[in-house]
Amino acid sequence: MPRLTIDNREVEVDDGATVLDAAGKLGIEIPTMCFLKGYEPSTSCMVCVVKVEGRDGLVASCGLPAEDGMHVETASPEIIDARRAALELLLSDHVGDCMGPCQVVCPAKMDIPVMIRQIAAGQLCDAIETVKRDIALPAVLGRICPAPCENVCRRRQYDDTVSICLLKRYVADVDLQSAQPYVPVCKAKRNKSVAIIGAGPAGLAAAYYLLQEGFDCTIFDERDEPGGMLRYSVGDDELPKDVLDAEIGLITKLGAEFKGGTRIDGGGAIDKLRSDFDAVFIAVGEVEKEQAEQMGFEAGPKGIAIDPGTYATNIEGVFAGGDAVRRRKMAVRAVADGKEAAASITQYLAGEPVTGPRRQFNTRMGKLLEGEMEKLMAGVSKEQRVLPSVGSDGFTMEQARAESSRCMHCDCRKADDCKLRIYSREYKARAGHYKSERRTFVQEFEHPEIIYEPGKCIDCGLCIQTAEQARERLGLTFIGRGFDVRVAVPFNKSIADGLREAAGKCAAVCPTGALAIRDGDGGNC
Amino acid sequence: MSDVDLTFVEQTVERIGTEKDKVLEILQAIEDEYGYLPQEALERVCELTEITPASIAGVSTFYDRFRHSPAGQHIVRICIGTACHVKGAGLVYDAFQRYLGIPEGDDTDPEKMFTIGKVACLGCCMLAPAIQIDDITYGHLTSEQVPVVLRDFLEQERVRSQRREVPVRARTEKELGEIRICLDSSCVASGSARVYEALENAVKETAVRAVVKNVGCPGMSFLAPIVEVALADGTSFRYARIQPEDARAIVLRHFRPKKVGPKIKNVMSTVLDKILTDKAWESVTRYSVDVRDRPVAGFMDKQVHIATEHCGHIDPVDLDEYLSNDGFEALQKCVSRLNGEEVIAEIRRSGLRGRGGAGFETHLKWSWVRSEKSQKKYVVCNGDEGDPGAFMDRMIMESYPYRILEGIAIAAYVVGADEGRFYIRAEYPLAYKRISEAIEKCCERGFLGEDILGSGFSFELKLVPGAGAFVCGEETALLASIEGRRGMPRLRPPYPAVKGLWGKPTLINNVETYATVPWILRNGAEEFAKLGTEHSKGTKVFALAGKISHGGLIEVPMGITIREIIEDIGGGIAGENYFKAVQVGGPSGGCVPAELGHITVDYESLTEVGTMMGSGGLVALDETDCMVDIARYFLQFTQNQSCGKCTFCRIGTRRMLDVLEQLCNGEGKRGDIEELEHLAAMIKKGSLCGLGTTAPNPVLSTIRYFRSEYEAHIEKRCPAGRCKALITYSVTDDCIGCTICAQHCPVGAIEMKPYEKHEIDTEKCVRCGTCKSVCPAEAVKVE
Repeated sequence: MPRLTIDNREVEVDDGATVLDAAGKLGIEIPTMCFLKGYEPSTSCMVCVVKVEGRDGLVASCGLPAEDGMHVETASPEIIDARRAALELLLSDHVGDCMGPCQVVCPAKMDIPVMIRQIAAGQLCDAIETVKRDIALPAVLGRICPAPCENVCRRRQYDDTVSICLLKRYVADVDLQSAQPYVPVCKAKRNKSVAIIGAGPAGLAAAYYLLQEGFDCTIFDERDEPGGMLRYSVGDDELPKDVLDAEIGLITKLGAEFKGGTRIDGGGAIDKLRSDFDAVFIAVGEVEKEQAEQMGFEAGPKGIAIDPGTYATNIEGVFAGGDAVRRRKMAVRAVADGKEAAASITQYLAGEPVTGPRRQFNTRMGKLLEGEMEKLMAGVSKEQRVLPSVGSDGFTMEQARAESSRCMHCDCRKADDCKLRIYSREYKARAGHYKSERRTFVQEFEHPEIIYEPGKCIDCGLCIQTAEQARERLGLTFIGRGFDVRVAVPFNKSIADGLREAAGKCAAVCPTGALAIRDGDGGNC
Repeated sequence: MSDVDLTFVEQTVERIGTEKDKVLEILQAIEDEYGYLPQEALERVCELTEITPASIAGVSTFYDRFRHSPAGQHIVRICIGTACHVKGAGLVYDAFQRYLGIPEGDDTDPEKMFTIGKVACLGCCMLAPAIQIDDITYGHLTSEQVPVVLRDFLEQERVRSQRREVPVRARTEKELGEIRICLDSSCVASGSARVYEALENAVKETAVRAVVKNVGCPGMSFLAPIVEVALADGTSFRYARIQPEDARAIVLRHFRPKKVGPKIKNVMSTVLDKILTDKAWESVTRYSVDVRDRPVAGFMDKQVHIATEHCGHIDPVDLDEYLSNDGFEALQKCVSRLNGEEVIAEIRRSGLRGRGGAGFETHLKWSWVRSEKSQKKYVVCNGDEGDPGAFMDRMIMESYPYRILEGIAIAAYVVGADEGRFYIRAEYPLAYKRISEAIEKCCERGFLGEDILGSGFSFELKLVPGAGAFVCGEETALLASIEGRRGMPRLRPPYPAVKGLWGKPTLINNVETYATVPWILRNGAEEFAKLGTEHSKGTKVFALAGKISHGGLIEVPMGITIREIIEDIGGGIAGENYFKAVQVGGPSGGCVPAELGHITVDYESLTEVGTMMGSGGLVALDETDCMVDIARYFLQFTQNQSCGKCTFCRIGTRRMLDVLEQLCNGEGKRGDIEELEHLAAMIKKGSLCGLGTTAPNPVLSTIRYFRSEYEAHIEKRCPAGRCKALITYSVTDDCIGCTICAQHCPVGAIEMKPYEKHEIDTEKCVRCGTCKSVCPAEAVKVE
């Protein structure tokens, strides 16, 4: 029974245990990618490295037998650095996008691909949930959004963009017209209140998410009715007032209090709000520098100065977003600001460090290389772009589903449980740190259950072991050597021939999106 | 492709066996038979044996030796070892590709006549740049000689089919002397086989009482082929760079022919003198050498022969001769008079450290394995020398097979192993053949096998052919390879001494280490320990190559300085260039700059200056060698040879290579040096095995001593004039208008203008260097 010290804590483990096991016993978490309990350690990813006193360099803890008297360190800056370097190296040879380009450019980071697949599957209840997770006013934006997402849609390179904005509008319209439109679940009241100044898209969105967090929200606006620019600057033909009212109605239904005709201005106003409320969100629309300074804010030519990561102003507990900080006049940006500021305010009110909304980690494949379009288009509808019939109000169900099937599924099927992505975020790895010629993106669709994307493989060999355990006749193996080593089925056979039994298991153990279950969409309605 | 006849596969499996670990042997047989590995053959193997498809596919794609598509009729192997690289192997490769019209990304010409490929090292560093077409080696190539070489090869092919075997004569008592010639790979590459044949013929035709004898390599590759005439009275004469047509004259000079009168002999002798002194003869410089001559004296003087004892005198495979030179005396002594502890004590006193590179103390390894309680133990000899620019182990295996076997047998006796494996690199067929022959003879005579020398100790040694993977020099990878798996290293501990071959305690030493053991036991540890420095005892064999005047194989006492090796033994840099640095230890080592020439050669000093002993390649570099290019060269090697397992080595070395390539291509940018240093630090820290942890050394040592060259590359300059993208060729006013450059330019970048100054079209120019090498007026300038 070896006794060893890990991060200055003693632990005794069974004979044959590894340092990773010993750390686990102490509750010390060491990241692993190529190793899974019950498998032969391959000590290849080197993300689980630790420092052992008296031994040069760093060692993979997953394969290192625990020895009596060992002194191990698991989290020194040197180790963190090495783990980050290992992740960055893996990322430099990892072809594929975590998120589709559409989601990446969407200011609200709406999970467009998932929404589209839910529409295609007829799961509209799921789709509205997906949409509203990031966009508080989808029916509104579905009519007025300039849709940056469509500009970057990969499908454009093949024929024409997928009509993302119209699809979102379809989802929102169907929801609004339903007997019971979607209402998110709100957390229990926390007895804290937030003053939101401005009932435009940013303010409304902030209220929508803060209410879900259990905070009371009072929205002040100098106009009599909420909506801000959406109501007073956008034409009725573009955005019918009933749509706007209906969507705002869903927000007030969550418990927001609206105080119209109240102008918050001049020195002292903010101090007053600060004493009446626990936090303040300024979303008043365009502000002149002088005006902002008069209220006590640090300001620049674009308006109130904020910490771009947290939306915090120089006044404690006061946050600002929307056109008040950037003068972009883009509703989706304002809606995004509202959501993100709400995240900061939530942290602030919970007494946590204010770090702002969780940043998503993303790898990008960038421009497609020759031949890759064909790969990505395999299994995707080649039909032309569908547009609503002239004079109609958006898509019909058939049109929406047809249009949805044109989406190329650029996003990764394992975006949520990819260990490479999770650890890259945790260790702040930079996806594009090593610039290099990338491999060709390949998707193998031959298997009925799974999809193989060799470019995402990190050569951990867990699938090879799994196939071997399952006694697959062909199975999988490493092909080649050095940088070009790849996991493949022997004799150039297809993945369907290689994995007759263990496909699902292989996809489950794969730490990245290299092997993934075919249908990557959400649950049922 | 159902037209592949699989009978051979069935016979092979029948012959070799059906166990999993037979996979490499079976694959090699198939490759030899079909010229590649037909898929149906592999599938058939899986049906007939325990070998799985995953295993056979994984193994067959891991090793360089195997092809998966049919090759051309002839294989051109272009050596890209270090010495060949610095002497322009890349240009030669390009020239073959261009001349044979091989499309980009392919390796075979459209007529399927020649397949070209790069090999890590042919072990003919003194002939650099060297290539091999099938089994014929050509050396000192330049790109414009490629057509000539191909023509010559086809001519040789034609002649060869008509040549008959020369019968080997049995030795008789009446002989008046021996005519010795080395038939090791590199000497054969310089033509010694043809000289041997000519000598045999001459002896037969003149019926003199002499015997032509194949001997171990004298090491003086720079003079190869060397013929030594050793007369019965003890006198000997050496001739260097002999051609087949000189054979008869040499024979007649020293031996009285039965059928020829003295008068004729004298005539012949005069002719010979003329040949040997006339330097202008047929443009080939030939001369006789005497050990008293300066270069040879210098070359030999500082050497001490232990692993290479009796070099140039004894027949490699003649067991009797080995025995008459104290062969197997050490083994006899061990098995009859010493126990394992005593032998280990002797080895400990000698201070012997592993000659494979890392320099681990030999006695420790031995006693660890000895102390393991296990019924079954193995002894393994690592003959997988894969370092480009090193060929010591090859030479030892080819020249002194019995010495290694004796060392292995002693080790087995000491650690208590009854079985062993001798793993020999795929590229060394002659070594394989000789060791195999030697094992057979040892078994016949009781030096190996059951009840060795009547002592009751039994030890069976089997040969395992490698298949071309540098990483298999790493001990855990080597074991994986012997077990018939991909040569992937694993994390240590457990060390092989505890858990080695098939999980049993295993002793692994390198060829040179074993070869040194018998000498130590015969002469005593003290004699050995007298040589060398405090922590590095004895001698070390080095392959001295590159831009050196007298290169070859040398065995020197530890503690000799680099300058002594380069200047005294190697005769300094060839030509007019100055000595810039010496690359020590190949891909794991680094470059020691000329100003550190006083550094002594021992494990510690070399590590201190940022390199390591490695396997013992020494490649001298002059001012025309670009240090960034050298670093790139080694990284290219390691990233290709990495097993592909751990992240740092697999991807990290590639990212370092990316940066180095950008530097060499004029795409370098500020921060690149720091990026290299950071990556290097990470790779050294985080890699799993020795290949990875030492891979950054060539980069780090060149940054350390030649940082300004890296900086120059960032500014898009290559001070050495080496990096193609950063240099241009132009014709100076010295041009005499002879048109030779225009005639030789392979891409038509020079217009023919008789009696006028020529011009090079930089757009068309591929920087092959042909114009510069053919210009009689030295009027081609590189900047």
